[in-house]
Amino acid sequence: MTPDEALSLDQLAIEQKFELEDLLDKGSLGEMCRSFESLFELPVRIYSSSGALLADTQGVPSLYRYLEKAKAGRRAVQDVATGVRRAEPLPGAPVLIEGVPGVLYQASLIEHEGRSLGRIILGPYTDDSQNEPPAALFDLVEELAGEGIAQEWANLPSLSSLAIGRLERHLRATLELLLFSGLKAHMASHMHMASVRESFRELSERNQKLKDAYERLKELDRLKSNFLATVSHELRTPLTSIIGYSEMLLEGIAGEVQEEQKEFVETIHEKGEQLLELIKSLLDLSKLESGTMSLHKVATTGDAIVKDVVSTLTPTAHKKGVYLLSASEADLPPMLADPERMRQVLINLTENALKFTPKGGSVTLSAVHKKEAASDMGGGGSVLMGAVRRSVIEFSVADTGIGISDAEKKRVFDAFYQVDSSSTREAGGTGLGLSIVQRLVDGHDGKISIEDNDPQGSVFIVTVPLKKPPTT
Amino acid sequence: MQLDFATKEMTIKLVYYGPALSGKTTNLQALHAAASGDSKGRLMTLDTRDDRTLFFDLLPLSFEDASGLKVRLKVFTVPGQVIHSSTRRLVVQGADGVAFIADSRVAETETNAESFVDLRDNLEAHGMLLGEMPLVIQFNKRDLPAVRPKDEVAEMAQAGREPVYLAIATQGDGVVETFLALLYQTWKRLEKEHTLSEKFGFDGRAFIANVAEKLGFQGSIEDVLAHAVGATSLGEVGE
Ligand SMILES: Nc1nc2c(ncn2[C@@H]2O[C@H](COP(=O)(O)OP(=O)(O)OP(=O)(O)O)[C@@H](O)[C@H]2O)c(=O)[nH]1
Ligand SMILES: Nc1ncnc2c1ncn2[C@@H]1O[C@H](COP(=O)(O)OP(=O)(O)OP(=O)(O)O)[C@@H](O)[C@H]1O
Ligand SMILES: [Mg+2]
Ligand SMILES: [Mg+2]
Repeated sequence: MTPDEALSLDQLAIEQKFELEDLLDKGSLGEMCRSFESLFELPVRIYSSSGALLADTQGVPSLYRYLEKAKAGRRAVQDVATGVRRAEPLPGAPVLIEGVPGVLYQASLIEHEGRSLGRIILGPYTDDSQNEPPAALFDLVEELAGEGIAQEWANLPSLSSLAIGRLERHLRATLELLLFSGLKAHMASHMHMASVRESFRELSERNQKLKDAYERLKELDRLKSNFLATVSHELRTPLTSIIGYSEMLLEGIAGEVQEEQKEFVETIHEKGEQLLELIKSLLDLSKLESGTMSLHKVATTGDAIVKDVVSTLTPTAHKKGVYLLSASEADLPPMLADPERMRQVLINLTENALKFTPKGGSVTLSAVHKKEAASDMGGGGSVLMGAVRRSVIEFSVADTGIGISDAEKKRVFDAFYQVDSSSTREAGGTGLGLSIVQRLVDGHDGKISIEDNDPQGSVFIVTVPLKKPPTT
Repeated sequence: MQLDFATKEMTIKLVYYGPALSGKTTNLQALHAAASGDSKGRLMTLDTRDDRTLFFDLLPLSFEDASGLKVRLKVFTVPGQVIHSSTRRLVVQGADGVAFIADSRVAETETNAESFVDLRDNLEAHGMLLGEMPLVIQFNKRDLPAVRPKDEVAEMAQAGREPVYLAIATQGDGVVETFLALLYQTWKRLEKEHTLSEKFGFDGRAFIANVAEKLGFQGSIEDVLAHAVGATSLGEVGE
């Protein structure tokens, strides 16, 4: 039965739309009837209400075979089946049928909650008060001179009406129990299937809702990035004018500026530059978020970038009294990367390192060539993936500064996130640097991680593959 | 409800709803024990090894009215555990009346409320409104400590419109009253909708009195309703 053909709970329990054969296993029913017959020597036949024969232990009694040898006997035997079929037992009121003279059958109803589901036919048997075959039976086989008929008669089970009633009740009770278990199993399997279907429907509905909500959020996110990009762009234009004009004022193009005025204009210029940096970062971030920043990847050597960054930031390090060192491997193979963006990554990391390292400490940049197992790329199947190794350039920026706790290591990459400590507040900044770094590294199919430096400080490690990995 | 005009049979579906372990199955067992032999069928339980209802329990009862109408009552319980929500929805479909079995313990207050909301939602899923469903509420497990006091239950009961009963299902207390009140509520609703008295000459009050007798309850439907917590008047009886 497919689930759709299965009856519903109400059809089973309320309308009771089922037949005997739906609930009983035919094989087991046959076995039960045979065991009943071997125990009580009384043949059994079971019909469903549709007339289907579900079990039969009756065979042809040898008496009938004997009778069939005579013409009248044959006719009488043929009429037995019809007689039995026509019997109409009522609930709790079995009907007695005489097959051939003196040979009895009993028909009774199989009921379930007042509904008839089928019939039980017991027999043939003889009444135990009748020791001899009746005269009418002899008449049927006149031409055989009655020889042997007493023997055949004696072969039939002989029962009192009390005994047959008891056997009938026993068999019916057993059948009704079987029926009940059958119905119970039927309902259980029905409910099981229906519940599974219902849960599935519910889950699908929820999935659809989640999907819709996700689409809406994505759309909002896109709008936000767009907004950020437009606003930052519109802010930048007037700001460049402010910076330009304050520069011109300082250069004396508009005439001599007094000492005090100069100081004010210098502050305007400096704050303007800071604001411009912030806007640029925002613009970068929104471009990165919307995926509209294009990377110009070319063959780039890692040690060249490191050298460049060190020379750019040496004056800053000097001012702060922090040693800035580089320790790159010689003859690094070239990698496919956007050199300007990789430089931005290392500048950001090194600026942070200098910012959070007190006077007398050191910051060390390095670039080395490594092979890493591809299973580190995340995702399962390490037993398969572990075999694949890829070539990477590993950059590291190690400082001896204040360090980052494990709990903060993940969060520092969030936009605008700053570890809440007095040193950060002193150091200033907006908390955008690392989120931009993270996205630039992603754009290079690379990875970034933070480790603790020994004995103190942090190490930011960036790995960039030499080639783009085959897309999986 | 199902009406068969040819055989003069009416089948009514009653559902016992409520949170896990509130005593729904116990109610049905007590009802089965109370019913006299000729009116009850076999109690079918579809449960797990630790006696938690998995799909439902089903107690078939049948009675005959003086008019000759055969009335079959199919009394179901739902599985109370939260995870079986979809099964509850299937079982409650087509219910003619609902008995909500609550656990009286104060600590179960929230669980009872959640299950009641679940009932409302599951009825709504079939386009049925809780407000239109014949309903009886039972506060079971009165024998346990830390139960909500009777006065409080009575006060809340007066605010609502459905009859509320106290019960100790394990001892059979309040079980038959709850059932008879549910049958009464359900009959009032069916009479209104199908005018059974007109169509079949069906006398609901006599019928319920007959059922009460078969369940061993001494008294009339008025007595049943008077047993409800916070019942103040018998005014609505027979309207
Ligand atoms: N003390 C006490 N225990 C009760 C009472 N009624 C039920 N119980 C017990 O509470 C437990 C749960 O009863 P059930 O009838 O199986 O509960 P249920 O509501 O059918 O539970 P689910 O099938 O899981 O939804 C059983 O151990 C009962 O014996 C009561 O009135 N008093
Ligand atoms: N090398 C480091 N040592 C200790 N803490 C660090 C280090 N690098 C970053 N952090 C912590 O991570 C936070 C986020 O860094 P991020 O570069 O994103 O922002 P920022 O440097 O505060 O501001 P911005 O870079 O936008 O000017 C910092 O505020 C700081 O708390
Ligand atoms: Mg920074
Ligand atoms: Mg139960």
